[in-house]
Amino acid sequence: MYDIVIRNGLVVDGDGEAGVLADVAIENGRIAAIGAVTGEARRTIDATGRVVAPGFIDPHTHFDAQLLWDGQARPALEHGVTSVIPGNCSLSLAPLRAADRATVVGMFQQIEEMPPEAFTEKYAKWTWEDFAGYCATIEPDLAINVAPLVGHSLIRLWVMGPDSQQRAATPAEITAMQALLRQCMRDGAIGLSTSFVDVDANGRPVPSRFAQFDELDALCQVLGEEGGRMLQVVPEFYDADITIARIDQLAELSLKHGIPTTFSPVFDSNATPKAAPRILDRVAEQVARGARVWPQMQTRPIDISFSLLNPSLFLARLPRWVRVLRQPLEKRLAALEDAETRRMMIADCGADGGEAMFGGLVVRGGDRAPQAYVGRRLGDIARERGEGAAEAVLNISRENGLDVAFLAANGGHHDTARIGPMLANPLVHIGASDGGAHLASFSTYGDTGYLFSEFVRKSGDFTLEQAVKKITADTADIWGLKDRGRLKPGLAADIVVFDADTIDRLEERAVHDVPGEGLRYIRSATGVDVVLVNGAVAWAHGAYTDARSGAICG
Amino acid sequence: MSGDGGPCPPTEAVIVGADLAAGHDGAAELVLRIRYANGVVGNVLLDADAGYALMRNCDIDSLDGLAGQSWRKILEGV
Repeated sequence: MYDIVIRNGLVVDGDGEAGVLADVAIENGRIAAIGAVTGEARRTIDATGRVVAPGFIDPHTHFDAQLLWDGQARPALEHGVTSVIPGNCSLSLAPLRAADRATVVGMFQQIEEMPPEAFTEKYAKWTWEDFAGYCATIEPDLAINVAPLVGHSLIRLWVMGPDSQQRAATPAEITAMQALLRQCMRDGAIGLSTSFVDVDANGRPVPSRFAQFDELDALCQVLGEEGGRMLQVVPEFYDADITIARIDQLAELSLKHGIPTTFSPVFDSNATPKAAPRILDRVAEQVARGARVWPQMQTRPIDISFSLLNPSLFLARLPRWVRVLRQPLEKRLAALEDAETRRMMIADCGADGGEAMFGGLVVRGGDRAPQAYVGRRLGDIARERGEGAAEAVLNISRENGLDVAFLAANGGHHDTARIGPMLANPLVHIGASDGGAHLASFSTYGDTGYLFSEFVRKSGDFTLEQAVKKITADTADIWGLKDRGRLKPGLAADIVVFDADTIDRLEERAVHDVPGEGLRYIRSATGVDVVLVNGAVAWAHGAYTDARSGAICG
Repeated sequence: MSGDGGPCPPTEAVIVGADLAAGHDGAAELVLRIRYANGVVGNVLLDADAGYALMRNCDIDSLDGLAGQSWRKILEGV
């Protein structure tokens, strides 16, 4: 008797072939059979009218800390994501000496925007120092699979201490880093991440940025020797020329050591429309040489967020606004209380009272944002208040201590006609979701649903099967996750059952579910019926289950 | 003026334009277009702090006033 049989679904197996109507049988956490399954099962899931696909794999996350108190990595799981790769951008939570915890917490707070309480003893089980200890700490509560990277900054900090943010490594230190990386790989790490961009809580470059090329080369030697595992890099993504130089560097490391490499993010911008195409052209040149260099591109558009608490360049074409925003907070608040100042600021915005510039904004949150306004279009709120749009921005802000955030949706990476073909490029790796990071800035969840709603159903850049392949089998192959990404007998039963006509991400919303009442923005899923992780139902029809069947995988 | 009556070529890099862009972290960023002395135009990306500092150093209140400013004003603002 099978444990579970999923019946009558359109089985899309991850290889890109046309889906077929079939049943999928599961036994002992693995796929036992696919086809017309006649055997009995302890549980039957009716997938009539639904797609049955491999669980989605998210290759760029920062769930390292969240997994300490949330083994489901909410809300990633409900979007059909069954495996996540944390530890990106040079930062993991191991190996980490107890004495260095505060240093690393500062780095995580900087990039993840988590409150300090999230890292205290109360919430984090800080018992480990080595990589095996971290994996052992999180694994019992996992409902999602975790294929962790080890961060270069952590390797460096362990070996060099405070000097890791001061200088290049000596040959002896590089040798020690090689040994430590090798141990981490044997303890569960699936690769190494590094960053040329990130900073710590004090604005100081993270340790990986002090590495010379010989250090990175030596560490990549270990990745090669340990089975040809992944090097993940954050290049200077804001500059196409430097990014192209990094692509060349990654190609050399890939060819020399026989390893795959990936870099992120790559995104499209109307202000620099040639940048992403140039980057992808260079990748193609290096791939033609035999190098494995995978650019990660996100599916979702980038939304711009701002409040009047801090000067934003979104307002930098409005002279009177700039003059006010430049002032210290106390003076800024006082200036905004002056009716004549506000009148002049509104006059900056044109004869329509700012409707063109502000009317389409959405009130998105902030600790003091009126709940009646959150999620609503500012133009509508302004009319309700009997104000113009610019006047509403000013008044809502000053009525709430300026702590109200406004969102300009689709500020960048939003031109589907340009982005669809780039995402569909076989050399492009869909990723860069950043799940678990940027908590207080924007939602990093639902990119998979958006792939189907925007680029399958709306633009047609992908067939259903191509889209599934892109975020399952392709991802598993790129990262060497041998047991994941396909529906084949014998493989792990990571499965998502979804409605191809409705799968999507829902509207962004603010929640306070991070330890310490920390704010984060999330998006729930729609159209995802059932998610199985290693053969256990982890999400079903709108609710999480108690299953804890996730595993450290690689 | 140059010998043929046209404007003298700049002897150092000059800001020739500015656009807003959406940054990876959801903040608005400033994309400056810089024309170098050899005629090549390239981009420099600034965050909000650097962008506002640049405007202050140029003594302007809007991005629209950046065109024609020396690239050195950027360094003063960083």
